[in-house]
Amino acid sequence: MPRPKQRMVTFSIDGREVQAPENIMLVDGAKYGDVEIPVFCYEPKLGAPVGACRMCLVEIEGIPKLQTACSTPVKDGMVVHTQTERVRVAQEAVVEFLLINHPLDCPVCDKGGECPLQDISFGWGGGRSRFIEPKRHFVKPLALSPLIAIDRERCILCYRCVRFSQEISEDYQLVLEERGAASYVATFDGHPYVAPFSGNITEICPVGALTSQPYRFRARPWDIEGSGSVCTLCPSQCNVNFTVRDERVLRVLGRDNHDVDDGWLCDKGRFAYQAVHVDERVTRPMVRDGGVLRAVSWERALSEAAAGLGRARGRVGAVVGGETTNEEGFLLQRIVRDALESRDIDSRVAGSPSLELQRALAAPALQATVADLEFAHAVLLLDCEPVDDAPILDLRLRKGVRRRGVRLAIASSRPSSLDANARLRTRFAPGTGEALLGALDAALGVAGGDSGRRDDVGRLAQAAGSDADSVGALAELLSMAGEDVVILYGERLVSGPRADHAAKALLNVAGRLNLTGGREGAGLLCVPAGTNGRGLAEVGVLPHAGPGLAEPALGGRDAAAIAAGAAGGELTALYLLHVDPVRDMPGRERWVAALDSATTVVAHADFLTEGIREHATVVFPAESYAEKDGTVTHPDGRLQRLRPAIAHQGETRSEWAVLAELSRRLGLDLGVLTGPTVTAQLAEAVPFYAGITHDEIGGLGVRWQAREAVTGFPGGFELGPFDLEAPPDAPATDDARFALGTFRSVWAATEVEVSPALKFLHPRQRAELSPVDAARLNVLEGERVIVGANGTSVSATVALRDAMPAGSVFLQSAIPEDSASMLDGPLVEVRKA
Amino acid sequence: MTDLLLFKNIDEPDLHTLEVYERRGGYRSLRKALGMPREDVLAELDASAIRGRGGAGFAMGKKASFLPKGAMDKYLVCNADESEPGTFKDRELMQKSPHMLIEGMIIAAYVIGATRAFIYIRGEYDFQASRLEAAVEEAREAGYLGEGILGSDHDLTLWVHRGAGAYICGEETALLDSLEGKRGNPRLKPPFPANQGLYQGPTLINNVETLATVPAIVEMGGAEYAKIGSPGSTGTKLVSVSGNVTNPGNFEIELGIPSRELIYDLAGGPPDGREVKFWFPGGSSSPVLTKDDLDLAYDFDTMAKAGSMLGSGAIIVVDDSNSVVDVALKTAKFYRHESCGKCTPCREGTNWTVKMLQRIKSGEATPMDLDIMASVQDRIIGNCLCVLGDAMAMPIGSMIAKFREEFEAYIEEARARNDALTTDEAPPEALIQGAAA
Repeated sequence: MPRPKQRMVTFSIDGREVQAPENIMLVDGAKYGDVEIPVFCYEPKLGAPVGACRMCLVEIEGIPKLQTACSTPVKDGMVVHTQTERVRVAQEAVVEFLLINHPLDCPVCDKGGECPLQDISFGWGGGRSRFIEPKRHFVKPLALSPLIAIDRERCILCYRCVRFSQEISEDYQLVLEERGAASYVATFDGHPYVAPFSGNITEICPVGALTSQPYRFRARPWDIEGSGSVCTLCPSQCNVNFTVRDERVLRVLGRDNHDVDDGWLCDKGRFAYQAVHVDERVTRPMVRDGGVLRAVSWERALSEAAAGLGRARGRVGAVVGGETTNEEGFLLQRIVRDALESRDIDSRVAGSPSLELQRALAAPALQATVADLEFAHAVLLLDCEPVDDAPILDLRLRKGVRRRGVRLAIASSRPSSLDANARLRTRFAPGTGEALLGALDAALGVAGGDSGRRDDVGRLAQAAGSDADSVGALAELLSMAGEDVVILYGERLVSGPRADHAAKALLNVAGRLNLTGGREGAGLLCVPAGTNGRGLAEVGVLPHAGPGLAEPALGGRDAAAIAAGAAGGELTALYLLHVDPVRDMPGRERWVAALDSATTVVAHADFLTEGIREHATVVFPAESYAEKDGTVTHPDGRLQRLRPAIAHQGETRSEWAVLAELSRRLGLDLGVLTGPTVTAQLAEAVPFYAGITHDEIGGLGVRWQAREAVTGFPGGFELGPFDLEAPPDAPATDDARFALGTFRSVWAATEVEVSPALKFLHPRQRAELSPVDAARLNVLEGERVIVGANGTSVSATVALRDAMPAGSVFLQSAIPEDSASMLDGPLVEVRKA
Repeated sequence: MTDLLLFKNIDEPDLHTLEVYERRGGYRSLRKALGMPREDVLAELDASAIRGRGGAGFAMGKKASFLPKGAMDKYLVCNADESEPGTFKDRELMQKSPHMLIEGMIIAAYVIGATRAFIYIRGEYDFQASRLEAAVEEAREAGYLGEGILGSDHDLTLWVHRGAGAYICGEETALLDSLEGKRGNPRLKPPFPANQGLYQGPTLINNVETLATVPAIVEMGGAEYAKIGSPGSTGTKLVSVSGNVTNPGNFEIELGIPSRELIYDLAGGPPDGREVKFWFPGGSSSPVLTKDDLDLAYDFDTMAKAGSMLGSGAIIVVDDSNSVVDVALKTAKFYRHESCGKCTPCREGTNWTVKMLQRIKSGEATPMDLDIMASVQDRIIGNCLCVLGDAMAMPIGSMIAKFREEFEAYIEEARARNDALTTDEAPPEALIQGAAA
């Protein structure tokens, strides 16, 4: 869909000629002439203006009544007055009206000092009130939720929070109760407002009515400093502003970046900062001594790690977690490959396609951006649940559908929270993404006139547990919607033993939709499992790829093979950079065995989760994301910079420095003196990052695909079309056996588990079942079931989902107890507990 | 000169049935209209120069012509949420002659090319809603509604939707929100309903009386209709007269007759020995006029020129036995209760005004409060999202302006009464602490 093009027009404001884009709202247009028009209810992020607060009344020549500048588009030749007596009186009147019921308790209000109501009262108010009647009173404050306090006396009923709930997050929980002067904000059912994005209302509230419970009474605005960085708790990589007081993070606010987060944050991103300052955090180096980890000096920890790794030279395997920066990943792969003469390093949880296909999928011509999701003609959401995998994309898709008419199609095994927004939903059996892509490829062929593929559609669709009609409809929607199609897919789609085949099928589909030609506004966008999954792959943290997706001297093992290698004694040391494979990776038992067998396990960790606590021989304290200096790469190729907001906590050190020191002790001087020198080395090693500096990345990041160095992207790959091999059939389910699907909840994170405010959201295992299957198993929502396979089993609470295809059960991974990673699929048995 | 067009047969027994309505010439206009091109019917409506009977007085033909042409989902909505205090004309019309409204709506829908129409009727009009529902059913069975009406290519489905009793839902955009199943709050205009109304589709929304007049216009021709009434206020008007009159009720008049004739000759004037103190010419939201204005012609332009408005055509007469303060408080309380709360001046201004009036009544006000109250009304007028705020501020403002002396006298009297209570009389013995012991 072409982006709206804006023509500049000239209008007059307060006697000055001003140029501004046509049809932007007058409030924004006035800024082009350095004129400020006060607003309360107007917030462009919330969509169309509502004109409720009446604060922005201005005079426009030719229109008898005063007009709300928030809802009046700028037109050529318009003559606007904001400083006339009439306007002054009207604006003063609105301030007076708003303050008659406001408690004016600014001295004890968290908002005091950063409050639009204070500022506007000062700037546009009359300075005195003629209202001597009693003000309205409410019980206050009340917990709107465990995270948000509501003070209804301070509320000026601007509707922002209600609009957020109704039109942005679409959770439809907040409403205005009662009428007129008795109106108040509440949830429609009186239950707490718990939703993945609820915290945003504290940030858009223009008064102190909605405040963050964890931040309540923690600081006054003059006590704090803001520090911009990037949230690395998920692949969305939202831009944030840390509120810092005395080297402690007290709050996280959004730092609007339209190309990344559109100005919103999820509640994990907003509240999990608490994990930076909890007692559970590891802030001193530790060494296993007499079977338990004991805090030791850096010297001892480094020398033990160097000794252990040195002994295992040639037999070291490294696993890298998603929160690792490009710099750390780059240094570690050098240590593993060059200092330790090993070759086994991986950053993906379940393997990846071959190097050629990896390059093809990452090829600049194919890449869509986050903003494209909003402007595309159609978006195919493929094997990905944004609200869990990259929450902020969920809001972007809702915006595209609601405001720009994007046609959303969903092909997934698990029902999506976006189902209601989609034109079309296709379900396939867990793990059969390859077959579904094959069927879609064939169906797109049929839609393009290749009727010979008609039989393939039915056969492949069946192998995916779907049917020809459903896939045919999907193909029709995608091929008829328009040129700009974006496929947003989850990393798991191109993982596992058949990753190559799935990748080829995906490229075929992309080719059929003409996405391989480098069209702007269309393409593929992969949501990696780890925050910096894309960056880590590009700086060489893959078994079969060096920095810049170059062929390494020797190919290595992927994560699963590393586990097998360690368990089998071929690898004797393991390096765990920001990852606890026992918690985070599939095959829990295999990892326990691997860690048991390894003689040296060096880990960088901020919490002693089970795998680290039981198996690490050396633990280096990991920096929190508020302490880090470095870069990460957004799923759409945007390099973003992490800037330290606070000093290192406890004895924590910069991890690039730790890695460099370790390397030196292993006999390889990496020549690293400062953080930026690593970035510089990185930019040299990755041809398509060439010349990139922290300065260039700046505050909003830069997509490498948009830089000249893009020509450095390696060749030696094909974009298809490929001949596809027949995929295996979906495993046959029956009355007793279900196809197992897994998902990682947005709340399944150690940061959530240890944050006092968010702990209540930390998930327990639940088994998502279709109502049909539940009836067959004779279980109800909330009852317990046992899910088992090959002699192991987990216990879970039943959660019914209407849109779940019968024969599948979904369990959560990456949780401490009863994790799905204990079970080996593809089939499991489910019975009532 | 009464009962000219709409009320011609209004008291005919069983006029609400299709049989009697048809016997009295009903649905003839529909046949005639369906035989004409849409543009010609629209031209007749335009030529009639009929102004909307709901309150705003916007020319109906002009409004209908604003709707985009061409095939798309367009809607016709009849505003039957007659909630303005003093207004009860639509009730009688719907109760006694529902088919006249339905016929008018079918013609109007034909003109704009709408295939779906709604009557949004206030929930309190339960009996009238049932009558309408029965009439719609009759019309459907007779082939006046449904597909291919009377053999033409015009389709129309008509729903009767009951509101839940909010005055604000008579505001056209709030009505549309409510009809869509949302909380009835006014929308920002533009876009106007003619462009983006119900379900974002172009929508023509008219009052009951306006739509019910359509068959008469089609029958007699627009030009002929325009000869009735006065220039700028053509046609006949149903006027509800209530308050201190001996013969309250609905009267159909030719627009432009002297107001005195309406209040005294038709409605019987105030009871013996009293005289008109002031009157609302167009429902409780119109600025009040006094007995000096009784000889003004009752039409849109004259009322506007006198600083008030014809509104929905509802005269409320207040005679000299009433205190202006009581009327002001009652009026303000109504609008405070009905304010939706979306925009600031209305939400806070109505509430503040009521509190000030209550203070006047309880003897805790000074004449200075009158200035504040007048200023609050000024600051509401023209600054709100919809006209509900103005609907309180205009009459209250006019009462303060025209009866300031009475307000001041009332304030002084109430204060004196309070002073007497607090200073002259000692509290009863039993209330003095320890007196019993």
